[in-house]
Amino acid sequence: MNRFSIKIAGASGGGLLSTGDIILKALQNMGFYLVAEREYPSLIKGGHACFHITASEEPVYALREEVDLIMAIDSFSLKMYVDGLKDGGILVHGQERAIEGKEALEKAKAKGVKEVHLPIRTVALESGGNVLMSNVVLLGMMWKALGLPYAPIEAEVTERFKNKPKLLEADLKCLKAGFDRTEKIMDIKIPKKVPKTILMEGNKAIALGAVHAGCRAYFAYPMSPASTILTYMANFAEKTGMLVKQVEDEISVASMTLGAMHMGTRAFCATSGGGFDLMTETVSLAGMIECPLVICIAQRPGPATGMPTWTCQADLDLAIYSAHGEFAKLVIAVGDPYDAFDLTQHAFNYAEKFQIPVMLLTEKGIAETHWTIPMYEQEKIPIERGLVEGKELAELVNEDRYRITENGVSKRWIPGSSEAYYFANSDEHLEDGSLTEDAEPASKMIAKRMRKMETLLEALPEPEIYGDAKNADISFVGWGSSKNVMKDIIGQYTEKGVKVNYLHYSFMFPLKTAVLKKFFKENGNVHLIEGNYQGQLGNLIEAKTDLKFKGRLLKYNGRPFYLNDLEKFIDANK
Amino acid sequence: MIKKMDKKTRDELIAKADKLLKYETDKVITWCSGCGNYGIQNALMRALVLEGLERKDFALFFDIGCSGNGSDKFEANTFHGLHGRIISTAAGAALANEKMKVLAFAGDGATFSEGVNHLVHGVRNNFPMIFVHHNNENYGLTIGQASATTRCGAKMNGTPGTVVIEPINTLQFVLSLDPTFVARGFSGDVDHLTELFRKAIQHKGFAYLEILQSCPTYNRTTPEDWYASRVKYVEDLKGYDRHDIWAARKLAQDMDKEIYLGLIYENTGRKDFLSLQSNRSGVKTALVEEVKHYDVKELI
Repeated sequence: MNRFSIKIAGASGGGLLSTGDIILKALQNMGFYLVAEREYPSLIKGGHACFHITASEEPVYALREEVDLIMAIDSFSLKMYVDGLKDGGILVHGQERAIEGKEALEKAKAKGVKEVHLPIRTVALESGGNVLMSNVVLLGMMWKALGLPYAPIEAEVTERFKNKPKLLEADLKCLKAGFDRTEKIMDIKIPKKVPKTILMEGNKAIALGAVHAGCRAYFAYPMSPASTILTYMANFAEKTGMLVKQVEDEISVASMTLGAMHMGTRAFCATSGGGFDLMTETVSLAGMIECPLVICIAQRPGPATGMPTWTCQADLDLAIYSAHGEFAKLVIAVGDPYDAFDLTQHAFNYAEKFQIPVMLLTEKGIAETHWTIPMYEQEKIPIERGLVEGKELAELVNEDRYRITENGVSKRWIPGSSEAYYFANSDEHLEDGSLTEDAEPASKMIAKRMRKMETLLEALPEPEIYGDAKNADISFVGWGSSKNVMKDIIGQYTEKGVKVNYLHYSFMFPLKTAVLKKFFKENGNVHLIEGNYQGQLGNLIEAKTDLKFKGRLLKYNGRPFYLNDLEKFIDANK
Repeated sequence: MIKKMDKKTRDELIAKADKLLKYETDKVITWCSGCGNYGIQNALMRALVLEGLERKDFALFFDIGCSGNGSDKFEANTFHGLHGRIISTAAGAALANEKMKVLAFAGDGATFSEGVNHLVHGVRNNFPMIFVHHNNENYGLTIGQASATTRCGAKMNGTPGTVVIEPINTLQFVLSLDPTFVARGFSGDVDHLTELFRKAIQHKGFAYLEILQSCPTYNRTTPEDWYASRVKYVEDLKGYDRHDIWAARKLAQDMDKEIYLGLIYENTGRKDFLSLQSNRSGVKTALVEEVKHYDVKELI
């Protein structure tokens, strides 16, 4: 078998994370490509949670809702997750008493599930371990059921506990006991070679992108699913020398970021939709004083508190239409941890060159999902600041700062770097920033700022096509994490002889339409795929062009698009 | 009794008159006649010159309101931000370029209503900046509504009858936050205010300077002469220890009879925010000088 999927389910905070990490690392070291999503409720302890992993010898990008194997750490997760097991799948559990999870086990039986069971607490104690090590027994059982060799998992457990030799000895005994007392069920082929990959999650990729782009200050107020960007930045701080500061609220986060950018460094912040609501006044200010600003919005379903630990693509409109007044802005959306590294760097370059706020969208389903990706190519994207530097600084006059130019972009320099100075004025202003409320200069300045939108649109890259560009049986247009499910589906349907292609937007707004129009012209059956109720990108496209989607595949239940969502839609619409 | 500048300082100022004039605007000033902002702006210009700061050495950050309307009437690097946010914006700026002195100015609304959370954390974090509260006991630019410092009994636009809620004791509030520098000046005493600005500029950390500011148009409860007849100077208080928080708090309690001006409290024992960043100890550059590619290999 080339591709397999598993779920590790248990109580949040019950050692689930470390078990998941061990499995991922071991599989990666064996040469598997991986996708691993964390599903959990907005609780620290007591709720159910799971690691949803797909592994394959070939590159793999998306998940399927039903999995081949479930490893249930407790009876509650047995009950919660048994429905996600495919017919004839494998259920690994360690209930001591038959009464526990009885209902779930009956359900499993009806699905023809193969049960892999040991009384794991007893086995752990018998093997010289403690009750907490029953997870490790379970891990050994699962590993054997998959038909995987013992050595790689032994190596990873050893690596994990190498600093605790006493625990390690017992852990290894527990692992071995679970492994030895289980029958092999699946027969997974070990990859022939080990590709050079890194295991990366979306939020870490964004943090790394910002570090690489020369961001020197990170301000934050924690909010799921953006919080781990702060964690990474704080953990990196000793090495990067970056100033990392958790502040009192998102309003202050945005204000401090803008203040730091105004002075001429690169600063960054991230939040989710609700936090971004509080930041929007600052987005408007950035638009007015033409100060670069980069804000990451990690989307989760709203409105209000919504579902804090689940995913969606529902804040595109929020980003595009954020903040009062009319001004130029850019909205970028990442799709996976590989493009997130590059797009974060681009965000800073566009923000500085065009002196605009840039909203960088990600999703819970990217933020905390791991993929095996190729190592990043560093220094591929030059740092472009659009600043006046060197000799030219001496020639500047104050009015250069907001000079009415044809392309809307005026000169910007670091305050204090030139004799020329200016007023960064939230009031409407003249070319040196002096306040004006006179009709003619005000309208000229507003038009100048808006012209940056056209200049920016020219400069932006077109959306990218996956699969053959034309004559597809069915086509999709989308953004964000949809790219992952589409990449998998295109491969899968090519094997079936069905031509599927996909047009992916990374640069969302202002909207590029040339390649899009061609895509519609050359493909007769184009559908929208989006993780929201309204089809926000679809509506934007239909408003800006005379194009019309044949259909819309929309999902808004907090879950990402699974392969089976696409199969169902394609089979009905191809 | 107004404090006069000593002769030596005055002579120095006269000698540097050209530097002072550099900051003067030729635009029409939009403050009312008799507004306290004239005196405050004047004191600020003098202090900057006396402290030897050139244009490249400082940046001024203004909140919204009458004080903020001076943002483009001061010929230097200025920033006119959003209401209530100037402490945060200026803090971000001060952290980004510690080589420039950052001064922020705000009125009653920003300081004690719309942005009071930022004041709390600005003081607490001891960000390296100066914050000036223009306390004119009302909202002038929106035509005379009550502020958190308006006194009971005042008849204000938008308040039925008279103001019935007691005002915040501003200095008590700030002193409760373990500040490192708390001073109070009066717009009617420019010489003394100049000295306070100078001390604030010299302070390392968050310098909080309240200025009692007359508002001839909307504040008829405590006009210029009301203050003039009540202000006292801590410099004249025998044995006053400005490092004693309880002495400061006792002094700050009276807002009606004897209103003390001067450097009321100073704590030189607490480090400013930047000095506390262990990952930046020994770093000589400011963040604005550090934008370049950073290798991320080791972070993966």
